Amino acid sequence: MAPSKKASWTNAPDAEELEKRNTVGIHKETVTHNTSVDFPGHVPGEDEAFSLDRFRDGFSVDFHQNDPFHASFSLMGIDASLSNAFRRILISEIPTLAVENVFIEINTSVVQDEVLAHRLGLIPFKGGKEGLHNFLKWHKKPEPGEDAYKNSYDWNTVSLELNVKCTLNEDADPREDDPRKAYHNAHVYARDIVFTPTGAQEQYFAGDDAIAPVHPDILIAKMRPGQQIGLTMHMHKGIGADHAKFSPVATASYRLMPIIKITRPILGADAEKFQKCFPDGVIALDKVSAKEAAQKGSGYESHVGETKAVVADPMRDTVSRECLRHPEFEGKVKLGRRRDHFIFSIESSGQWDSDELFMESVKHMKLKCKKLEQQVMDMVR
Amino acid sequence: MPGRTTKEDTPQDAQMEDAPTSAQVGEAQVEDEIEEDQEEEVEPQRVRILPGSTDTAASFEFIDEGHTLGNALRYVIMKNPDVEFCAYSIPHPSEPKMNIRIQTYDGHAVDALKKGLADLQDVCDVVAEKFWTKREEYNAEHGIAR
Amino acid sequence: MVREGYQPPTAGAGPRGSTHTGHEVRTQMTYICGDCGSRVSLAKDAAVACNQCMGRVLYKERTKRMVQFEAR
Repeated sequence: MAPSKKASWTNAPDAEELEKRNTVGIHKETVTHNTSVDFPGHVPGEDEAFSLDRFRDGFSVDFHQNDPFHASFSLMGIDASLSNAFRRILISEIPTLAVENVFIEINTSVVQDEVLAHRLGLIPFKGGKEGLHNFLKWHKKPEPGEDAYKNSYDWNTVSLELNVKCTLNEDADPREDDPRKAYHNAHVYARDIVFTPTGAQEQYFAGDDAIAPVHPDILIAKMRPGQQIGLTMHMHKGIGADHAKFSPVATASYRLMPIIKITRPILGADAEKFQKCFPDGVIALDKVSAKEAAQKGSGYESHVGETKAVVADPMRDTVSRECLRHPEFEGKVKLGRRRDHFIFSIESSGQWDSDELFMESVKHMKLKCKKLEQQVMDMVR
Repeated sequence: MPGRTTKEDTPQDAQMEDAPTSAQVGEAQVEDEIEEDQEEEVEPQRVRILPGSTDTAASFEFIDEGHTLGNALRYVIMKNPDVEFCAYSIPHPSEPKMNIRIQTYDGHAVDALKKGLADLQDVCDVVAEKFWTKREEYNAEHGIAR
Repeated sequence: MVREGYQPPTAGAGPRGSTHTGHEVRTQMTYICGDCGSRVSLAKDAAVACNQCMGRVLYKERTKRMVQFEAR
C-alpha cells in the first residue's frame, strides 16, 4: 500500500537530526550509518521526494584550487551515487586523442617494436582546444584485412613522425662516459616526435596549438651509435573505457569531508599530544578564555589560561583514527565524515584543463540521460 | 537497427535483440553500402522491457550502460514517492548489460523510469550551472585567466 | 613443389606484424656480423663467417617493410 503522500503530520527533520543523518560515524574499528536514507517513506511522514528546487537550494560548490593540471573543489548536498557517476565519467568516458597505430619502418634499438608502440601510445598530447574537441571526430576502425588507412581523414586522424638515429659525437672527449654527451640522440624523448598536419589540421593546430607532447621530457628509448628508429604514428580519439591511454585524467577522486568533534575539553599536555595525532594544521592550540571558564558545566571551570585543543581545519585530516587509540582521549572526541560533502581532486593528464573536465563530465551525464530518454520513448512506441 | 518493426514482443525480434551484432552483420551483407552508412547514424535500440513485466512492476535492460548510470538512476528513481522499489544490477560482468527493476505503488513503471531520466538531466543542469559560477568567482578572485 | 606460386593469405593473418614475404628466390643474402657489425653478403654455398673478422655469428637484417602495431 502506498504511504499517504500528504501526511497531515509532515515533519521536516531539524538541523541537528539532519546533521546526524548526514554523518558517517567513524569508530576505532568500525564505521556506522554508511548508507543514505533520504528516500520517501524511510521516515514516516517525511517528504523526501525529489524536487529540483530543493536540490538547487541544498547543493553548493566550493573551489579550493584551480590549476590547469589540478583542480580541487567540494560538492555539497549531493548524493554519492551522483558524484560517483561524475567521477566514473571523468575516468572512462571523456574522449581524448592518443596514439593508436604505429607504423614502424625501422627500429634497430633494443626496445622491441611492440614495447615501443605501447610506450608511444601512453604519451599524453596537447593541442588546440577547438581542433581537439570540435573539429576532430571519431575514427571507425577498419575491418581486419581492410586497408589500415581506409577510414583515415584529416578530421579523425592526426599523424606524427619519429625519426632519430644515434651517431657518435666526434667533438666529445674520447673518455666521455655520459652517453648523452658521447653520442648524438642517445636518448629519444617525446620532444623528438614531429607533428605532420594534413588538410584542415593546418589551421586548427597552427603555432602554439600544434599537437605536441604535454611533457617533452618523457624518455621513449635509449640508443647506441648505429641504432635507429623511424616510424609514423596515427592518433585517434578514444575513451578510457577502451584503453587507459585515452583517460583524460591522471587521477579523479573524491573523499568525504572529515568531521572532528571535541565533545569534552582536551587540555594542557593532552592537547599537544592530541594535536600530534593529526596532520599539520588540523588541530590548533588555544588558551581557555575567562568567559569559557565562567560557564558552568563546560568543563573549562578553573582552567583559565590553560592550553586547549580546537579543531582548525578538518579538511586536512586523513582520518587516521590515531586519536582513538589513546585512552586519555576516550569519550572526548568523535570522528565522522559528512556523507554529502565530496572533496573532489581532478588531475588532468594535459589534453583538457581539469576544471573543464568536470564540466564535460556533467555535460556527458546529461547527454547520456537524454539519449536514453529517447530510447525509452522508442521502446514504448 | 533499421529493420526494426513496431512489434515489440515477437519472438523473432527478441532474438535479434539478444544478439544485436550478428543481426547487424546479416543485414549489412544484404544491404548496399549507402544503407550501411546510414546504419551508423541510426542509434540501435539499447533499452528493452524484460519479459514477465507488468505495468506497475517492470525490469528494464540497458545495453552498454553500467554502474555509472545504473546507480545514479536508481537513486533518483528511489526519490520518487510513487516508487515502491527500485534496484539495479549488472547480471554478468562480461556482458555489457545493466538491469533496472522498478515497482510502483501506482502509475506505470515506465513513467517512473522516464521521470528518473528527466530528473537526472535537471540535476546535471543545476550542478553545471553552480559549478561554473563558482569557478568564475574563484578565477576572478585569484586572477586566473583561462 | 612450386614455391614461387605460393601467395600467403592476407586476411586473418593477425592484427600485428604480419611479416610475410613473397618468397623471391635470391642468390645472395646480406647479414650483419655479430662481432664487428659489418654487412656480410653470403652466396648460397659460402661458409658462414664474416669476411672482415671471420666472426661466426651473423644476424639476419631487419625487414625493410613497414610493420604495423597497435599502441596498446
